[in-house]
Amino acid sequence: MGTHGTSLAIPEPPAELNRAPLVGNNRSLGWISNRVCSLTEGRAPIWWWILLIPSLALLGMLLFMLGYQISTGVGVWGNMHPVMWGWDIINFVWWIGIGHAGTLISAILFLLRQRWRTAVNRAAEAMTIFAVMCAGIYPALHVGRVWYDWWLFPIPNSNSIWPQFRSPLMWDVFAVSTYFTVSVLFWYMGLIPDLAVMRDRARTKLKQFAYGLFALGWTGSNRHWSNYEKAYLILAGLSTPLVLSVHSIVSLDFAVSQVPGWHTTIFPPYFVAGAIFSGFGMVLTLLIPLRSIFKLEDIITKRHIDVMCKVTLATGSIVGYAYGMEFFIAWYSGSPYERYAFINRALGPYWWGYWTMIVCNVVVPQLFWIKAFRHNLVVVFIISILVNIGMWFERFVIIVISLHRDFLPSNWGYYSPSWVDICTYLGTFGLFFTLFLLFIRYLPMIAISEVKGVTPQADPHHPLGGAKVKDMALHE
Amino acid sequence: MNKNVDKTGLDLSRWRQVPTMLIVFGLASVGLGFLVQPPEPIRQFAFSWLLSFMFFLGLCAGALFLVMAHHLFDAGWSVPMRRFLEHIAALFFPWVFVLFIPIALMAKPVIYPWMTMTSPDHALHAKHPLFTIPGFYIVSVACLLTWWWLSNRLRYWSVRQDETGTAEPTYKMRFYSCLGIFLFAVTLTLAVIMWMKALQHQWFSTMYGVYYFAGSVWITLGTTYVITLVLQRRGLISEVLHNHQFYFLGSLLFAFTVFYAYIAFSQYFIIWNANVPEETFWYVLREKGTWWWVSMVIIFGHFFLPFLALLRIDVKSIFPLMVPLCAWTWLMHFLDLSFNIMPVLHPSGFVLHWMDIGCWAFMAGLLAKAFLRNFASTAPYPIKDPRLVEAMGLAHPVPTQISGGELDETDEIPAVHPQIHGGRL
Repeated sequence: MGTHGTSLAIPEPPAELNRAPLVGNNRSLGWISNRVCSLTEGRAPIWWWILLIPSLALLGMLLFMLGYQISTGVGVWGNMHPVMWGWDIINFVWWIGIGHAGTLISAILFLLRQRWRTAVNRAAEAMTIFAVMCAGIYPALHVGRVWYDWWLFPIPNSNSIWPQFRSPLMWDVFAVSTYFTVSVLFWYMGLIPDLAVMRDRARTKLKQFAYGLFALGWTGSNRHWSNYEKAYLILAGLSTPLVLSVHSIVSLDFAVSQVPGWHTTIFPPYFVAGAIFSGFGMVLTLLIPLRSIFKLEDIITKRHIDVMCKVTLATGSIVGYAYGMEFFIAWYSGSPYERYAFINRALGPYWWGYWTMIVCNVVVPQLFWIKAFRHNLVVVFIISILVNIGMWFERFVIIVISLHRDFLPSNWGYYSPSWVDICTYLGTFGLFFTLFLLFIRYLPMIAISEVKGVTPQADPHHPLGGAKVKDMALHE
Repeated sequence: MNKNVDKTGLDLSRWRQVPTMLIVFGLASVGLGFLVQPPEPIRQFAFSWLLSFMFFLGLCAGALFLVMAHHLFDAGWSVPMRRFLEHIAALFFPWVFVLFIPIALMAKPVIYPWMTMTSPDHALHAKHPLFTIPGFYIVSVACLLTWWWLSNRLRYWSVRQDETGTAEPTYKMRFYSCLGIFLFAVTLTLAVIMWMKALQHQWFSTMYGVYYFAGSVWITLGTTYVITLVLQRRGLISEVLHNHQFYFLGSLLFAFTVFYAYIAFSQYFIIWNANVPEETFWYVLREKGTWWWVSMVIIFGHFFLPFLALLRIDVKSIFPLMVPLCAWTWLMHFLDLSFNIMPVLHPSGFVLHWMDIGCWAFMAGLLAKAFLRNFASTAPYPIKDPRLVEAMGLAHPVPTQISGGELDETDEIPAVHPQIHGGRL
């Protein structure tokens, strides 16, 4: 029992409840810089090329598909009466949702002082930006004549054509573009101190120039840090409502309508929770292999994985509550249309989509209640993939199953995607992974300065940070 | 020991009689309410009782949620506040049970029109068997028993840890919180549907359970802030309290101010925009007469005022501003619940009846008395909680919200209050 210079006895925490350190093996500050920067220095490893080449091939396919759709028209999609929204909107919402974890980790967890975020925020933010870029392709394309996309913005023009501000699709334009802009700013600003590190370590003139250009003359002075931290806090404050607003507005695309299965008041928080859920699924999918390949186990520790599993579990359970409430209120309302819409989801021709969603999003994440599963990286990786699949099917269920049987049986149909839908979707993976691979190759995928800030060496009250040993009697 | 200082050292010499006075005042007000003879005195009483019941139910449910959230998040900073939150949650039994009895008795004859419909409409028929008299009582008892069981187990293991200081109670409390959060979500939603939404059983909204939850946690946070301040001023938890706890509570209050507004706005906006008569009638009723102005007060008082007030980082630690703001949360939540419940009784506009005040004062006094008795029966904070050191802001090998960084406080902390038992050398 420690005394800590007071008459109050402070109980020594039982050893089993001690919190695991955020950086393993007491790694030094220099080790952190070397470890993270080494990923971008030297020759690119073989595995990187092995991943990049197929990604580039998929990206090429995406470009071809975009050219084909622009030149031919979006009639090449599988959208057909009565399902006039198909894979385009499903994939838009799916990619946007994936982006949410990055901003949540970087902004909201920063405001909540969750210091574990430092190891994963950089990669998650990059993931956000690339995912939003993939998402943006769909609405830009679905207007049909992409050369009129600029009409989406309220720009004065000779025909006095203005956007329809009462349409939630217009709200999407403003919400997503704002979200993307602020996310890029936030990501870039966080990079500045690390870019300066890269600049100072660079061995070629080109690298020195490139990193130096984007490091904006960072010297690490007190004044720079002071301004940086103020700006970081302001951007975190700005990003936080954006995280919530973007997917809330996406949910309004559906909820403000009168379509059974879409018009339900819980949609905004349900969509936000689902987006964070899918985002964390993707973060786990990306980081679990990367931490092994790059030997980052001491930076992205099992504690980090454990905490992200818990966030996945929490948000998956919230999504489960929303599924339950939708079904319950469909029954409770007594509306035959609502009731049928939900029975049709579970037992209709697309029953497999509904139950895939339930199993992947609600049932499987419950395994994370068990610590052994949270600490088994193979299990976590498989579950994270299932979360990604489940969340794709959630959008499929909401969009296709709600539309394929309209109010009159004469308006019933069965939707199937076309080869163009499928190839375009696969192509967006090419874009995403190409950008992500370039990111991990040329930029520090771990926030070096932030990780250093959570080490004992950075804590002036810790012996490694310069504190006298007697102050630490409690923990000796 | 001074006779006015009870076992826990909570000096109530100036306030000891307040709960009793509230009970007497409440009973007198209800009596006065009957004397002034409103058009339907029994109905007025039933609705006033339901309104106050839902108010204090939200406080107890909010406390239970915060305790469970503490364990689920493995939080450290909130340890000093957890004990009194456990006591508030423990008011479910027997007090919330007892307070529910008048609702159970008046449900059929007075409160819920669906119970006495001779020819059920489609909306009622569709809800069979949930909306039957046995269904109502089964759900009500199941909800109350669930909350009692959870709050009882959580407090039991918390107090047990005061003696042992081992990890086992922590694991037990985590187990009950894991299980409890599911039960809590289901039961609170059902209770709100059966006790509040069922006043107009034709209306439906998937958001309604979340709506009540958001408002309830909001006032619980306001209450937590004030109780923490009182206990700190009395020296009961000051030695384990870092000044950042007030900032964190203020931040959470701010977060739930926004969350409530987000939920309330989303519900309204989606219904307004779709403009389906089966849903809009609920809001149409609440836009008539002076209810319109009540809705305006809720928009500006429940959201804009606390939002703007709490926006500045320093306000959260300025007690002369925060205490009135916390009191304001009670007023706004009461008004919000009135907006939900009372238009059924007074469709032409808002009426503040003596019985509203009386029922509220009676329950406030009764529950305050019970809370103080509970509070005196244990240590004022979990004295051997493994995370206590984090709450105190002492040096910690792993950075947390307070400890392990620039906020560490390694200076000597003040001597402990003499009335605290346990946890001392």
